[in-house]
Amino acid sequence: MADSDDKDKRRDDDEDEDEEIDESGYKTVKDAVLFAIDVSSSMLERPPPSDDKKADRDSATLAALKCAYQLMQQRIISNPNDMMGILLIGTEKSKFQGEDENSRGGLAYPHCYLLADLDVPSATDVKRLRDLVEDEEEAEKLLVPSKEPVSMANVLFCANQIFTTKAPNFSSRRLFLVTDNDNPHANDKALRSAAAVRARDLYDLGVIIELFPISRPGHGFDRAKFYDDIVYRTTASDPDAPAPLTQAAKTSSSGDGITLLQSLLSAIHSKAAPRRALFSLPFEIGPGLKISVKGYILLKRQEPVRSCYVWLSGETAQIAVGSSTQIAEDTARAVEKTEIRKAYRFGGETISFTKEEIASIRHFGDPVIRIIGFKPMSMLPIWASTRAPMFMYPTETDYISSTRVFAALHAKLLADSKMAVAWFIARRNASPVLAALVPGGEKLSDSGDQLMPPGLWILPLPFADDIRQTPETTLVRAPDTLIDLMRTVMQQLQLPKAVYDPARYPNPALQWFYRILQALALREELPEMPEDKTVPKYRQIDKRAGGYVVEWGTELEKEYQAHVGSQRRNKQGAGAKRVSVDPEAGPPSKKVRTVAQGKGAEGVGDEEMRRNFEKGAVGKLTVPVLKDWLGGKHLPVAGKKADLVERVEGWFENR
Amino acid sequence: MADKEATVYIVDVGASMSEKNHGREETDLAWAMNYVWDKITTTVATGRKTTYVGVLGLRTDETNNELQEDENYQHISVIQPLSQILMPDLRKLRDEIRPSSTDEGDAVSALIVAIQMIATHCRKLKYKRKVILVTNGRGHMDFEDISGIISKIKEDDIELVVLGVDFDDAEYGFKEEGKDPVKAENEVALQSLVEECGGAYGTMEQAINELGIPRIKNTRPVPSFRGALTLGDPENYDSAMSIDVERYPRTMVAKAPTASSFVVRTDLAPQESSTQSSHTLPNGDVEMADNQDGLAAVKNARTYQVVDEEAPGGKRDVELEDLAKGYEYGRTAVAISESEHNVTKLETHSGLDIVGFVPRDKYDRYMNMSRSNVVVAQRTNEKASMALSSFIHALYELDSYAVARLVAKDGKDPTLLLLAPSIEPDYECLLDVELPFAEDVRQYRFPPLDRVITVSGKKLIEHRNLPTDDLMKAMSDYVDHMDLSTFGKDDEGNPTEYMPMEDTFSPVLHRINQAIRWRAVHPTEPIPPPYEILTRYSNPPEELLQQAQPYLNAVLKAADVKKVPPKQKGRKRHREAEKPLSGLNVEELLGREKRQKISAENAIPEFKQMLATTEDIGTIKDAAKQMGSIIQSYIRHSVGDSGYKRAVEAIRVVREEMTELEEPGVFNELIRDLKTKILGEELGGDRKEMWWLVRANRLGLIDKRISPLSEVEEDEAKAFLTAKLSG
Repeated sequence: MADSDDKDKRRDDDEDEDEEIDESGYKTVKDAVLFAIDVSSSMLERPPPSDDKKADRDSATLAALKCAYQLMQQRIISNPNDMMGILLIGTEKSKFQGEDENSRGGLAYPHCYLLADLDVPSATDVKRLRDLVEDEEEAEKLLVPSKEPVSMANVLFCANQIFTTKAPNFSSRRLFLVTDNDNPHANDKALRSAAAVRARDLYDLGVIIELFPISRPGHGFDRAKFYDDIVYRTTASDPDAPAPLTQAAKTSSSGDGITLLQSLLSAIHSKAAPRRALFSLPFEIGPGLKISVKGYILLKRQEPVRSCYVWLSGETAQIAVGSSTQIAEDTARAVEKTEIRKAYRFGGETISFTKEEIASIRHFGDPVIRIIGFKPMSMLPIWASTRAPMFMYPTETDYISSTRVFAALHAKLLADSKMAVAWFIARRNASPVLAALVPGGEKLSDSGDQLMPPGLWILPLPFADDIRQTPETTLVRAPDTLIDLMRTVMQQLQLPKAVYDPARYPNPALQWFYRILQALALREELPEMPEDKTVPKYRQIDKRAGGYVVEWGTELEKEYQAHVGSQRRNKQGAGAKRVSVDPEAGPPSKKVRTVAQGKGAEGVGDEEMRRNFEKGAVGKLTVPVLKDWLGGKHLPVAGKKADLVERVEGWFENR
Repeated sequence: MADKEATVYIVDVGASMSEKNHGREETDLAWAMNYVWDKITTTVATGRKTTYVGVLGLRTDETNNELQEDENYQHISVIQPLSQILMPDLRKLRDEIRPSSTDEGDAVSALIVAIQMIATHCRKLKYKRKVILVTNGRGHMDFEDISGIISKIKEDDIELVVLGVDFDDAEYGFKEEGKDPVKAENEVALQSLVEECGGAYGTMEQAINELGIPRIKNTRPVPSFRGALTLGDPENYDSAMSIDVERYPRTMVAKAPTASSFVVRTDLAPQESSTQSSHTLPNGDVEMADNQDGLAAVKNARTYQVVDEEAPGGKRDVELEDLAKGYEYGRTAVAISESEHNVTKLETHSGLDIVGFVPRDKYDRYMNMSRSNVVVAQRTNEKASMALSSFIHALYELDSYAVARLVAKDGKDPTLLLLAPSIEPDYECLLDVELPFAEDVRQYRFPPLDRVITVSGKKLIEHRNLPTDDLMKAMSDYVDHMDLSTFGKDDEGNPTEYMPMEDTFSPVLHRINQAIRWRAVHPTEPIPPPYEILTRYSNPPEELLQQAQPYLNAVLKAADVKKVPPKQKGRKRHREAEKPLSGLNVEELLGREKRQKISAENAIPEFKQMLATTEDIGTIKDAAKQMGSIIQSYIRHSVGDSGYKRAVEAIRVVREEMTELEEPGVFNELIRDLKTKILGEELGGDRKEMWWLVRANRLGLIDKRISPLSEVEEDEAKAFLTAKLSG
């Protein structure tokens, strides 16, 4: 389904920009991952029971399956077009594409059990996998190791066939091999050679083998014994990919307070590499000093999938693929692309230009990132922000020495807290923007894993046209005593480790959306509301800062009354008309919770409104006052006065 | 709503305006009209119905105005009564504003007519009233009884602008030599008139130069959130803070106007049938050239299809009514009934809720995910203002930012915001930007820039990818000498920031607007170049560059950057044998059973391996030939399009290998043969879709541009991709 969408899109592009050389059009930029999980008796062995709550209870195979299960759910959200498959190896049972366990095809790849064929995951795949990891009986039925060892050559050829048939033209194809056996076929040279040959096939096919080794207590994992003949250096076959971190995945094991599952997940995440550059451009640091860089998107708001139309009248629910035809408004006849002209609406008519004219109007030079000069970071106010930034990293493809020049610039900007200001045209015909190039240092976790890569961030700056005027306000500056109290409040409530770490805050709306969708897809009960990590920890706030907030509230009330008093005196002194006396003036209310709420100079507070309501005098208030009050309660403010009054009264009646 | 506006332009079209002065190539009238057209078309572009424009001709041949009975009001004509200006009016103005053959007509009288026009139109309603007089000041002007006019202008609150062609202006620094004495006298009188009315007086040259500085559209602030800034939970805890606030946009990218799609109308001649009228299309072009609107908008009509193997073509149309709304979960379609419509929405309540605080220096500026907003206290709520002020100052004193959860309206998705304090002498607010969630961060790894780690895990600090000390020093000097923070000059000539954001203008936005406005009044003339300011910041300032040149030279020397010759990109005729990490010689293992026959199941690896072990052209040709038959068999045995992707991949690999081995002819033969067979329906029926995939993936002939050894010209390769056999 996704493919046919894609096709339509490409067809449109094709007709539109036949002239253009599209670098990325060469191959579909999608990722296909096939998990090959070893099911041997040692992989199925459970860790010894422990009282530690955090201790592992899962066998290595189960941990790997759980890992695949999590990854599958994640990828449905983040990469809905990517494929995934799961192959169990060394099982007693055998099963290949389109077969059940008993058909003869099993003979082709004995002891290879294709649990989920390589494809965009379906709800059934998710359910199957979940049943396996959550239902022990189910697992015991399937996860039975074979009596004879599985041939690795066979496993690799099986993977070869899966990739060749299901994802023939994916630019990124990866085989994730999870095993604890560092020396299969220890005594059989022929089988070892056969495996090496089959591994070479995969390499020539463009499939990358990622090994996720698992060490057992008392038995490390030695790659040199077998796998160094199987795994190739992942030189970037795709020129868009950055030079890879040559580091091999760490050997996973449980212990040190982390489970095998966590350790596997982090190993897999460390293999994430951008599959496609956003742009590839000359970076002009000065006239005559050009290097080559590529841009990537590292920060992007993840949105839920767009809704679509589903056809339910068939045997299975099917997504209806929409296609649009363009028709003329006057006669509703279908219009050919070549007939269409572009014109701007102006003065009740249209102003049109030829295609060449439009191209020349929009043309401000070739795509480039050109440095205009440098400024200290302090000249970049926090509000000078228009959209999420892009990330830029050097490449040697067009200019040799790009990396070292970039590194020198990066180091200098980082050391001096400077930024570059640049003229930036991302693609042909893209609108030029001015951007701040801000250095970002490499950040490592405690265990040395990279959290944030080093590079320059491209922050598009607002033009004068994009800067809005600030709204007018009446400023009442807080006295120092009040500020001091607020400062104490803030000091109690620093975020953990004094940083904002996005990893701690999953998007609650997105997570909820997919939870519901998953439940609907699997025809299950709708889940309970999960914990929303973005909701502040109220209890902690009350415990740590509550007392100080109350103090601040009391002081605010005092200072405010003093302020009102002094203003009244000033106004009377100046002979102004008597201002309306604040009906709430007097002793500060005990409760601080409503400080500074719903009580504009001309507005009324809840108490006064209640008095009016009890006297049946709500109707005597003016429309602005009613609207103001309703607005404060987030109630609609539309309609005639009678409606407003009714709404106010309704509010009190329902209390 | 913006205020209503009424503006009358008095344009002097006297005979003397047709002269060309001071070496200008345009007549004075044409030159002055640059200003008037720009102003009028800017008004038209707003599309506002409540912005009225009138045009009054001064020193016209004819007379046509409300007061024409009086002989003092001769040679003054209303060309355009006060109204919203649309394209037909613009065309009419373009035709009617021409130099006259008379110099009779009094500018002061014209002023009175203009005031009268406004008074009649606006009555006592709320309007922004404006009169703009454009003249060369060389006609007779009667300044008697001027005090009456002044008091009337003041009384009606009319803004008076006088712009003179070659008027002296000491402030701007223009003085006309050998000035006509009448003109000199008029200039003095007009200037004092304007001063008394509190209007604006200037010379035309300045006005025209200033057209090059884009005007910025002011937008009335509309709050994106109104509610409480809370710390803690006011519903359940007595210790919670709650301040009523409002949130407004601080930045918002101004979008350039977008062109809409049109086709030439075909319903203009209703007696013709639709087929006939489409034949008359070429005539439409004539109409277009005349810039008459003859266009019909293009709309999109959507149809929906589902897979149905029994239907012809495997797909059939379905009606929108028969479809339910839903989503894709992986490859599973999930329908959601009308009643469950909101089931995927998270239930939320509006509010701005503090999550915690972070020190400023621990925040990475690149985490800003969005445009920015300001948060201010609820207007007219002084207590909230005081409360928020304490929050802002405390945040500022702690050099910290706050992180808060925003739900702009009940039911909207929550976002996390960074709140930063901003304190100016008479303005305090919080500034906010959106922060990323866990799912928004893509954890891609890139190698470090300050060290190189080898496969064996060794850490290097000297490597060709790492800068030398010389390069570091040179770069540091260059950066320091290209500093913009004090390169600019303020009004007093003191050093200040160069190119602050307030001085930069969106190039595409203003360029398109400029072109539209120009084309509206000059339908046949080429579009003038963009305003200088739009490209001013596309290159480093020359003066600064000169200072920094020696340092740049040092960087160039230390860096030794070389362009990669285009031919070398990705070439590998004598490539080194790829080896696994162990360095095991797999070739040797393969060599034992030298490949002769390529199997369809494992075609790509076997093809590559066959090529890798030979230098012999015969073997290469044989390998390609085998691939050719395999590709054809993939297509022949494909059920629907099931085998197409595999075929495409195989074609791609052969094409790539043959390009690298510099044997383009071998591939070209293969693809030609394939095309003939596909289009001849020799591969199991209609396989056009397959050819279309070849085309979409650009897997046609290898032409001279790709491989110099090819005998195929670029054009031929392009034509080949079409679905015609002759190509």
